[in-house]
Amino acid sequence: MSTLNVAVIIKLEPDFSEGNVSYNPDGTLNRVETKNTLGPHSAIAAHAAFYAKVMYDAKVSIGTMGPPMADLALQQSQQISDAEELHLYSDRLFAGADTLGTAEVLKTGIEKMQGKMDIVFSGHRASDGETGQTGPQTGWKLGFTFLGNVISYNVDLETRMIRAKRLISLQGVPSVIEEVEAPLPVFISIDPTYKSSFDTVSQRLSFQKYQKEATERAENYKEYFKVFNADQLGVDKTLVGLPGSPTIVYKVEKVPKSTATRQAEIVDGSNHEQIKKVVARMKEALSAMVIK
Amino acid sequence: MTENYRHLYVVIEHIDGEFLHVSLEMIGEARRLLDNFNSKYSSNEKVVAVILGYDIKDMSKQLIEYGADVVIYSDHPELKDIRNTIYTKVISQISQDKKTLDDVEPLYAGEIKRPRYMFFAADSIGRHLSSTVLTELESGLASDINQLVIEDIEMSHQQKTGGSKEIYAKTLEMYRPDFSGFLWTTILCLDNRNPAFKRDYHPQACSIIPGVFEPLKQDPKREGKIIEFIPKIDDKDLRVKVLSRKVIQSEVDFETPRTIVSFGRGVKDEPEQNIKLLEQLAKELNAEIGITLPISKKPFLVSQALDSKYMIPDRVIGTSGHKTSAMLYIAAGVSGAMQHVWGMKDSGFVVAINPDENAPIKDECDIFIKGRMEDVIPMLIEEIKKQIHIIEA
Repeated sequence: MSTLNVAVIIKLEPDFSEGNVSYNPDGTLNRVETKNTLGPHSAIAAHAAFYAKVMYDAKVSIGTMGPPMADLALQQSQQISDAEELHLYSDRLFAGADTLGTAEVLKTGIEKMQGKMDIVFSGHRASDGETGQTGPQTGWKLGFTFLGNVISYNVDLETRMIRAKRLISLQGVPSVIEEVEAPLPVFISIDPTYKSSFDTVSQRLSFQKYQKEATERAENYKEYFKVFNADQLGVDKTLVGLPGSPTIVYKVEKVPKSTATRQAEIVDGSNHEQIKKVVARMKEALSAMVIK
Repeated sequence: MTENYRHLYVVIEHIDGEFLHVSLEMIGEARRLLDNFNSKYSSNEKVVAVILGYDIKDMSKQLIEYGADVVIYSDHPELKDIRNTIYTKVISQISQDKKTLDDVEPLYAGEIKRPRYMFFAADSIGRHLSSTVLTELESGLASDINQLVIEDIEMSHQQKTGGSKEIYAKTLEMYRPDFSGFLWTTILCLDNRNPAFKRDYHPQACSIIPGVFEPLKQDPKREGKIIEFIPKIDDKDLRVKVLSRKVIQSEVDFETPRTIVSFGRGVKDEPEQNIKLLEQLAKELNAEIGITLPISKKPFLVSQALDSKYMIPDRVIGTSGHKTSAMLYIAAGVSGAMQHVWGMKDSGFVVAINPDENAPIKDECDIFIKGRMEDVIPMLIEEIKKQIHIIEA
């Protein structure tokens, strides 16, 4: 039995990398043409779980809610984290859920994973939805202590305590790194700046060993993979999907073109004389404002 | 008519005895919304500021001066540090405590179960706190809002109303810009009136982007009611211990420099080289480098050094990042999505470099240099070397 059980919740998202992303002429995302991939913040959460694998020989499980093709994201995150359990929660009933309805599914799924979870990780936010709510909501439903914006952590297996550093950025005041301590279990939402570091030779050897294992497992990811529909999960159907979603998207509109705040002078970028004048104006702007 | 949900609660954030500006902004917006609301519906609902902490009693009066009708405060040594679990519990208690709800406005005493609306800040504190509080209250939450309207909405919705036409009175329309900055989504939090799964979803809550709304001027003559709430504290909600807090200086500084050079997806033809060009341009002007939101999602492969230095959330100018009022703002390969424009529009002199004359940034700049940055920036650098000599402070 593992000394530590960790889970990660992840999401399949539009791939915003050049060559895979497609925008409509009006600047909005072309969802049909755009490919999908493991979300970048989900990937960071998977790295944080792999840290527990290397450091504490943890057992890693991964769960996601999504359409059948979301198995791709599970495979990609298994490659990062060396997970030995991949869960896909997929049912038409789940479609259209808001973050609360999604959190209910994820919570129920995590409780179905092998072993009692000690740490559950989520990414900072999805790059398409960008709410950052699903993680803390899932954590709260699990009844776990929630730690947000975590940039590093260490576990004491004897005392079952975790120490974590959190990055707190607030408007108009300097950022703060807060160090906290809490008993397990905890739910962690990982900060985008999180980076695992492996300092000793033995840690680096474990790292290599498990990375190799992860690659082998990801090649045969179907062996670790399990799909659950609503009945198999045993969710309360009034708490998931649309019925379990307090919020709806009422309308989506193009952001109204704001009235021009400035009257631009248009300059030909290939004309050296004109560029010279632009720089003179820049100089004027800088000096004028220094005086003011 | 009996209504079980009334008033607008604003969860206040403060550090070292000072309000975070966003808290005052939220009260300002709440005041504006409720003044219209009360005259439209001939009611007397209140802007209620909720403040938690230790040794904070004296801050309550100021919240009234900034526009709150009522302040509910909880002053307790265990609330000194902002810890998610205990804060979530106490805010949820305040939102459901019968006596406190009755005290807010005796006119509605006896009928209120919860607040009608609730505001949080969309920052490192409020973003998570709003999520956990609204999970505890089992209601809806919209994040990163930049416009709010209260309307009576007539709609028929397959799930919410079971297909029949219903009027949802006094509904909060919560507008949020999407990740592209070109779409605006309106989120509503609605009770399920569908007989198949009837369920109330109140409060209607959101987190609000800092810097969007204007605070009111502090007015010492404003009067209001201050209510103390004694929290019920359970030891199991105090499991997190804060060991230390260390202030860090960000490597990115958008406050001091007079010039900001920012770039967007327009670097894509030769990202590595273009970012290096921008670095040079910034160096000549002693400028800080900013980016648009899509760049923080690392859409291009560039060397690790450039990637970790520039394509990071900390450099984003816009609603999901920083707001600047630089003296000189140079936007290279930036299309001008609302997201980004909000962050730079207060700049002094704005120069845009873009091959597309129809890009929205054209309406937000003083000089629009039509051309590719690959061609334009080297010329600019050459001229700046001749004309501008920045003396470092």
